[in-house]
Amino acid sequence: MCKIGVEMEGEKQPLLAMRGITKSFGGLRAVTDVDLTLHEGQILAIVGDNGAGKSTLIKILTGVYQPDAGEIFICGAKVEMSSRRDSIRVGVNAVYQNLGLVDALPAPANVFLGNEPVRRILGIPFLDNRRMREETERILIENTGVKLEDATVPTLNLSGGQRQAVAIARAVLVADLKVLVMDEPTAALGPEETRNTLALIRAVRDRGIAVIVISHNLEHVFAVADRVMVMRGGRKIGEVDTATSSGTEVLGMIVGSAVGAGAHATTPSTLGAQQ
Amino acid sequence: MTDQHITTPETSRMTRLPALRRYVNLLGPMIMVIVLCIIMAFAEPRFFNVPNLMIILHDAAIFMVLGTAMTLVITARGIDLSIGAVAALSAIVMAMLIKDYGVNVYLAMAASVVVGLLCGFVNSVIITRLHVPDLLATLAMDQIYRGIALVLAAGAVLARFPEPIPFIGRGRVLGGIPVSAVVGLVALAVGVVLYRSTHIGRYAAAIGGNREAALLSGINVRRHKTLQYVIMGGAAAIAGILLTGRLNAVQATVGQGLALHTIAAVVVGGTVLFGGRGTMLGTLVGVLLLSMVTNALVILRFQFFWQLVASGIVIIASIGFYSYMNRSGDDDGKDET
Ligand SMILES: Nc1ncnc2c1ncn2[C@@H]1O[C@H](COP(=O)(O)OP(=O)(O)OP(=O)(O)O)[C@@H](O)[C@H]1O
Ligand SMILES: [Mg+2]
Repeated sequence: MCKIGVEMEGEKQPLLAMRGITKSFGGLRAVTDVDLTLHEGQILAIVGDNGAGKSTLIKILTGVYQPDAGEIFICGAKVEMSSRRDSIRVGVNAVYQNLGLVDALPAPANVFLGNEPVRRILGIPFLDNRRMREETERILIENTGVKLEDATVPTLNLSGGQRQAVAIARAVLVADLKVLVMDEPTAALGPEETRNTLALIRAVRDRGIAVIVISHNLEHVFAVADRVMVMRGGRKIGEVDTATSSGTEVLGMIVGSAVGAGAHATTPSTLGAQQ
Repeated sequence: MTDQHITTPETSRMTRLPALRRYVNLLGPMIMVIVLCIIMAFAEPRFFNVPNLMIILHDAAIFMVLGTAMTLVITARGIDLSIGAVAALSAIVMAMLIKDYGVNVYLAMAASVVVGLLCGFVNSVIITRLHVPDLLATLAMDQIYRGIALVLAAGAVLARFPEPIPFIGRGRVLGGIPVSAVVGLVALAVGVVLYRSTHIGRYAAAIGGNREAALLSGINVRRHKTLQYVIMGGAAAIAGILLTGRLNAVQATVGQGLALHTIAAVVVGGTVLFGGRGTMLGTLVGVLLLSMVTNALVILRFQFFWQLVASGIVIIASIGFYSYMNRSGDDDGKDET
């Protein structure tokens, strides 16, 4: 995925690295000195109580906010992002919690919004609605396995899982996508839709794209993520491997009770030893 | 766990009767058209005489032009209350160029369209740069444009214009079809293409439907708001030419009430006043319905104020019907549309 294959001592170059990220809103420290590393084909979950700074962190990653301090590296190269466009340019895209869909428009219009293919007739650019429909159907099938019965209905009338698929299709349309961020992808979904959405996330991962998932649902987190990063009060409290950790342990870290209280550990082994 | 708040409101959003749902907005006004026709079949069959139908088309023509552009504006969650004054101002400028300055009639017509486009541009600047809400900005500009028109015309009635102004306003072609109606229908046809197959229409829907999403998609919201109001201004100027040609006379007070009637027709046609969803076909139905009601009452010799009452009832009935249909269709309790 990283084109310049700089291999450091046999270790693979991380796709994404955030170092010492700090961000305040007025007097409020929303994010304090957070590090994050993400490798190709990994799914990282970020968990934490309300106001822990999760959304702020990923908004920094996607160029919506600029950090007060800290650096972001993509494939080892430092990047500066001052807008969503910048983040998309370096291969980072996001599906926000509300999905950022225009409910009244059908799936193809949403997938290509702001990026529509045109056909010129007498030099006037007309939207190529047919191509958008066909491409959307193809992208949906290839990336998410979702097939729309009718690509002309407003996305409002699609199921939650289908809407999620449309939002993902839209996000992965970015050329050379490296990191996909999803804020609360399973909130407000039923069990069936949740299963589908988790499958969508794995499908994206299987294409070699690294995925960051923010979620309050530890069950979903453990079902899909390779690693879990826990935030509290704007700080990174710890990071665990889902293979060697448990929901109880992570929950303890989230609320700061006995298990996670003193733990500013960042490796799964230390945390495992504590339990 | 802290996350048991998850419910399943979205799962019920299945694709139910998609085809029908798309035209559900049109159902209300369609039913009213049919009811009106049934009533008129008994009350006054002459309603259906071809000459009378042509009168209805002639009446509706101006609102077809205005409604096309207004559909675009409203779809993007905007509104333009200034179009009556813009029509008056641009028509007065045209009339004065012809009458007082002897300017070529085609040049004068072009000038009036330019005035309309400029007025629309000024509206958009106030809305997008000064961040005055659309409703208030265009309400204020309505006063200003009207004021300028009144000052320019200084109370005069300008009349008897050279062709093609009267021809456009009240001429007939092909055995009785009003030229104005042809202009109106062409405007609507252009509107349909604009709406379905250009960035202008697509982004109007995106901006009105989810401004945040439009911005995040890199759409230049400001530029497209500007485009919409400029198009609206141009349409108002064309309406001004039609109005001038209709009586072959114009004064600075023409076009009062144009905005509200146009907005009513657009909304009756099923375009959602809160943005995101518009329909040109619906606007055609809305325009025709309102003109038919007015015409029916005139034929039945009701007094003018009854026409106002009837228009009001039609507006409330169609919006009520629309809300009812959507409420019964959406079990997720959302009320935003
Ligand atoms: N634009 C902003 N202006 C001021 N304060 C903000 C802003 N965005 C976030 N905050 C504050 O920063 C803190 C972290 O918020 P953030 O949204 O990142 O939390 P979160 O972990 O995503 O919470 P949740 O789980 O509720 O979504 C909160 O105290 C919040 O009020
Ligand atoms: Mg959040």
